[in-house]
Amino acid sequence: MDAYLVAILTIAGIYIILALALNLQFGLTGLVNFGVVGFFCLGAYASGIATESFHAPFVGGLCVAMVTGAVAGGLLALLSLRLSGDFLAIVTLGFAETIRLIFNNEDWLTGGPKGLLIMTRPVLADYSRSANAWMVLAVVLTGAVLTLALMLRLAGTPYGRVLRAIREDELVPATLGKNVFVYRLQSFVIGSVLMAAAGSLYAHYVQTITPDNFTTPVAILVWMSVIVGGPGNMLGSVIGALVVVTIYEGSRFLTPWLGFLDAEQVSALRFIVIGTVLILVIRFRPEGLLPEPKHTPVVPATRRPALKG
Amino acid sequence: MQMFINALATAAILAPAAVAFTLIFTLFRYANFAAGGFVTVGAFAAWTLNAPLGLPLWAGGVGAMGVCAGAVALSDRVVFRPLRGRSGGTLLLVSIALSFVIENIIRFCFGAQVKGFDLPLTGPMVFAGLRVPKETVWVISISLIATLAVGALLTFTPIGRALRAVADNASLANVRGLPVPGVEAFGVIVAGALFGLSGTLVGVDLAIDPNLNWAIAIPVIAAAIVGGLGSPLGAAIGAVVIGLAEELTAAHFSPTYKGAVGFVVIALVLLLRPQGLLGTKVERK
Repeated sequence: MDAYLVAILTIAGIYIILALALNLQFGLTGLVNFGVVGFFCLGAYASGIATESFHAPFVGGLCVAMVTGAVAGGLLALLSLRLSGDFLAIVTLGFAETIRLIFNNEDWLTGGPKGLLIMTRPVLADYSRSANAWMVLAVVLTGAVLTLALMLRLAGTPYGRVLRAIREDELVPATLGKNVFVYRLQSFVIGSVLMAAAGSLYAHYVQTITPDNFTTPVAILVWMSVIVGGPGNMLGSVIGALVVVTIYEGSRFLTPWLGFLDAEQVSALRFIVIGTVLILVIRFRPEGLLPEPKHTPVVPATRRPALKG
Repeated sequence: MQMFINALATAAILAPAAVAFTLIFTLFRYANFAAGGFVTVGAFAAWTLNAPLGLPLWAGGVGAMGVCAGAVALSDRVVFRPLRGRSGGTLLLVSIALSFVIENIIRFCFGAQVKGFDLPLTGPMVFAGLRVPKETVWVISISLIATLAVGALLTFTPIGRALRAVADNASLANVRGLPVPGVEAFGVIVAGALFGLSGTLVGVDLAIDPNLNWAIAIPVIAAAIVGGLGSPLGAAIGAVVIGLAEELTAAHFSPTYKGAVGFVVIALVLLLRPQGLLGTKVERK
């Protein structure tokens, strides 16, 4: 049970990073990125290949993953950021599918559908299995906390205000002399880097990655974390990711009561529930569990001339 | 030449769904990613009527069109209508979640095994030295007839004109006395029937399994975008372009990369000619 809890927390930590990254892109800046899983996959493979084929240490793999994420995010952004909402969504979704297809087919690089075995782990040598699991958890949670700190900081700065302004109406910041395209590009690239970093952490945690680990359901879970938590609210994304991972992993415990269904049906049922909840939340509580704090400008009370009486 | 026929067969499968996708886009201004899900529903409906129930395939196809029309109308009523007026991105996310739900409902009911229609084996037809399977001839002709019929319906009939008026400016159409909800419902049903037709045709050519959803959604949407969103004729031409591009990729690179063609074509079109082949610029928010 202890080991199971550590495993769930590790997965939750990775989803928290993904959700925060998406919240920066979608929640703050309004960029509809459905390619979350593409950057996640890219980071995982970049890191895995760097450590296994080129014998880089874990930190090296993480850096390679982040650089790869930045380059891919930048290129995709240059290609598609001038497009508005739904086209960006289509391009990013296609990007994720294409990445998965490439990694599935180029066996010489990635091991194809058999998977890539990763021996490097972010742990100290000569410790027991459970101690190792705790160390991986510590690394992942450190990553999650750092990401959260960065995001909270970003959201509170004038920079974050510009991003929010772009989300609401890009004409206004443009009129104030802000280069909207550059802001969007930066937001997209920072998000991509974080997603790739999450991929790297994931790869060194599970140690065997196959392209099947990076399919649309993962993207749906990340989107659900952001939407349920509250788009634009960073703490909301953390809570959203915890809720989603708890629902998703916790529903395993329901399996004994669903004995009349086979494994395939139980897994399908989980996804039906998740998709339905996502639609319901968007319809009935679009602001999420933790709504974004309202930023009402503080206007000094206008001084009224005292009434003469 | 053989390649051209394969491309036409692919195009024949994509065209009805691409027309349906563009129809929904013009009516309600959102990209309905559940397109792949609806096509899969059509494929499974036709299979259920054909293989376990033993009906001929044409009956299965008609049934699939009915089932899909019902499914699309229901999804519009339950899921999309309450969200009218939300941003395109939100609706897109909802449609992706919906396609995810549909895919898993199918998986829940039918399992993940690959299924095929119960069709009698027929020899190929030979035209001028080309061997063309009879099924392919059927698929291409039925799709062509259906696409032309919908084109004619939109262009020449009063209800088609009403549909275009509503798509162009719903409030103006309303002021002019058109029954907007009725016209929208009609458009939704036509789109649903087209999805069902695509589903049946896809089942003739490929295997039927729940994973069809994404495999078909990307090329369908690519075809609609290449042709120019909002233009049914463009969507049909776009389907031919995508079919050709897929065959060329399979011939010159590797058949496994067929799945990436849709994305690459979308990216190229958006870069070079965002309004598509036949589209006009759409004001979007």
